[in-house]
Amino acid sequence: MALAAVAVTTVGLHAQNVDSTMLKNPPKDSWPGYHGDYSGRRNSALTEINTTNVSKLTLGWAFQTQQNGQIKATPILVDGILYFTLPDNVWAIDARNGHQLWHYAAPPTKAFHIGQRGVSILKDKLYYMTSDAHLQALDAKTGKVLWDVEVADSKKGQWATMSPLIVGNHVLVGASGDFDNLQGFLRSVDPETGKTQWTFFSTPTVDTPRVAYSGNMWMTGTYDPELNLIYFGTGNPSPVLNGKVRPGDNLYTCTILALDPETGKLVWHFQPSPHDTHDWDAVEIPVLADGLFDGKPRKMLMQASRNGYFFVIDRATGKNLLTTTFGPVNWSKGVDKDGRPIPNPDKEPAPDGRLIAPDESGMTNYRSPSFDPKTGLFIVSASPSYSLYFNKPADGAYGWAGADYGLWSKGVLEAIDYKTGKIRWSHELGDRGGSGVLTTAGGLTFSGDSKGNFLALDTANGKTLWHAGAGGGIASSPISYELDGHQYVLMSGGNVLFAWRLPETPVAKAAPAAAKK
Amino acid sequence: MLFTMSRVTAQAPAAAPQTPPRAAWTVGSQGPLPEHAKFTREQAESGAALFVQNCAFCHGKDAMGGETGPDLTRSKLVTADKNGEGIGAVVRNGRLDKGMPRFSLSDADILNLVAFIHTQQDNALSQSGNRRGVEESDLHTGNAEAGKKYFETTGGCVKCHAATGDLAGIASKYSGLKLEMQMLYPRDVKPKATVKTKSGQTITGIVEYEDEFTLGVRDSVGIYRSWLRSSITAKVDRPLDAHVDAMSKYSDDDVHNVLAYIQTLK
Repeated sequence: MALAAVAVTTVGLHAQNVDSTMLKNPPKDSWPGYHGDYSGRRNSALTEINTTNVSKLTLGWAFQTQQNGQIKATPILVDGILYFTLPDNVWAIDARNGHQLWHYAAPPTKAFHIGQRGVSILKDKLYYMTSDAHLQALDAKTGKVLWDVEVADSKKGQWATMSPLIVGNHVLVGASGDFDNLQGFLRSVDPETGKTQWTFFSTPTVDTPRVAYSGNMWMTGTYDPELNLIYFGTGNPSPVLNGKVRPGDNLYTCTILALDPETGKLVWHFQPSPHDTHDWDAVEIPVLADGLFDGKPRKMLMQASRNGYFFVIDRATGKNLLTTTFGPVNWSKGVDKDGRPIPNPDKEPAPDGRLIAPDESGMTNYRSPSFDPKTGLFIVSASPSYSLYFNKPADGAYGWAGADYGLWSKGVLEAIDYKTGKIRWSHELGDRGGSGVLTTAGGLTFSGDSKGNFLALDTANGKTLWHAGAGGGIASSPISYELDGHQYVLMSGGNVLFAWRLPETPVAKAAPAAAKK
Repeated sequence: MLFTMSRVTAQAPAAAPQTPPRAAWTVGSQGPLPEHAKFTREQAESGAALFVQNCAFCHGKDAMGGETGPDLTRSKLVTADKNGEGIGAVVRNGRLDKGMPRFSLSDADILNLVAFIHTQQDNALSQSGNRRGVEESDLHTGNAEAGKKYFETTGGCVKCHAATGDLAGIASKYSGLKLEMQMLYPRDVKPKATVKTKSGQTITGIVEYEDEFTLGVRDSVGIYRSWLRSSITAKVDRPLDAHVDAMSKYSDDDVHNVLAYIQTLK
């Protein structure tokens, strides 16, 4: 057994060639990108672990990073090797036993270190965003840096956390940074050389008066190979809480963009938060699924947005199919004819404060939701919440430009029926949760609560079927894969990765020859 | 950059003896600066770099508030801190209930952070005129009479509260934004639980921990006890649910009016 395991883990012997074909249709023994496949559904086809046996789930291994901070990365899996990150750190570990193959400690930088969401892979190279917004190509075998290009100037206030999206011959990267008035962008980089192929800017340049800046693209987008469109959400405008100096809708901030991956040309856009004044980035995962809507087959894009609205959009045209809320929302005057919420000017931050739902962290945030095609449920970690928002002339028109204070929030997993927008079940999580969601064809929903309990729920009704204490905050989104014929579920708690599986089935003894007669 | 390191050794504004002393619960732009240890420019500069890496996302690059974290230049804890004894404890232990993690930093690094935070507070308090953030005077827009009416009728606040009872003197204890936040959601009020164990024992106490699987209470003599939920029956009284419910009903005028009324309960 041991020898066999060593043989198959050896890099190169049965190497999976990570190219466009593989990324479009990842084998079940891989998870080669942030979302697994390009759809952002985070729905695994695996069924070995299912509603009948998940209560027996047991620990396969745990990997201690020995570092400060919570793991916010989604590990990727290729050739039996998991690659994942913390800020300034990248690891390659054996997916069968958690054994470390290499560790790359990047030179520390002075930028914000709020999280790192993982590396991406194409052929033999990993792509890693440093905290100070450089893109590095690493040799996947050794972790050695092959090249390093600056994506944004961190001295001006941008930083990076994202896992790049790789489409064809393009490494797609953006940066974060709304503490300063900077221009948000998505950049396409050549995977071999690091050269810029194209850049899409969310806003005009920062010397343009009376417009919004920022609209940063800091989350991994999704891709439809048939339509050949990439989908990215853009961040909130800046100045953040002062909307008076930037009248109008503030395109393309808080917007879902459909872009041509070859040229970066905009094909359509839909704006979840016109003229945002509450820091509600619309970067949450644009989840792609095909199915019936109003009885017609549709190619859909769904987003549970930070501003508290859930949207279903025709992803070929950008036409809105459904807009609804998934928790308390009090900042809009309803929805316009195109399905966009209409911001209520009376709910813009004011000198004496405005009571706003949801709060600044939003009804949901960067952790992945999941779409389960079997039940038609879009499952999202939601945070009903209230807060106070202030803005006065002394706050100025640069960066944050105001103040806001959270009053109350809680965490709840909401299972939204995409056809109606109705919530079919809710699973209370206590305080605001930090975990993303994974669904599986085994009928299971994996996530975590705010106190560090890993959860496996029955996707049909939200009932808990299994749990285990992680001993640390869960701040990433689970993944699942198959190795050597067995399914694993990978989750992080604190700075530790946990691999769960079913117990080894005792090897059946060969029946005595006599018994066969 | 939003902060300027050139004002590290901020000068106190010319002493104004007629200025009334600053209230103990907050800091504003009048009155003498809080006293603290002297820090070097190098300490504050090292602290500034560490602050950007570790703290600035939540508390803002200038420590005056960012995403979710409060304005440290208005912090009672910072005002009371002399040489890191208060700030350092929070950095080391975190405030897990409020979402602040623990930080494993060396003593020297923590002292540098302390130097930076004090410097930023000195700078902020030295500003004359209209300061960024929320002043108490910003919150005086309500009508106390209308607030009293809302409190006694529409709001239903009198179901649990009395102006001459539990709320007597509340505006002397809190003021400004702190009073408004207390009014909307007094987060230090914890649920109470009555727990029945399988052996028939009944324990009442303050809920200190709860999740789907475990309940922990501090009992009447101060001992922390916890159980698997499957092993007990528990009744939990959550008085704050009414405050969450109220937030879904308040107009902003209601909030300001009730605040104006509460401000009269000195």
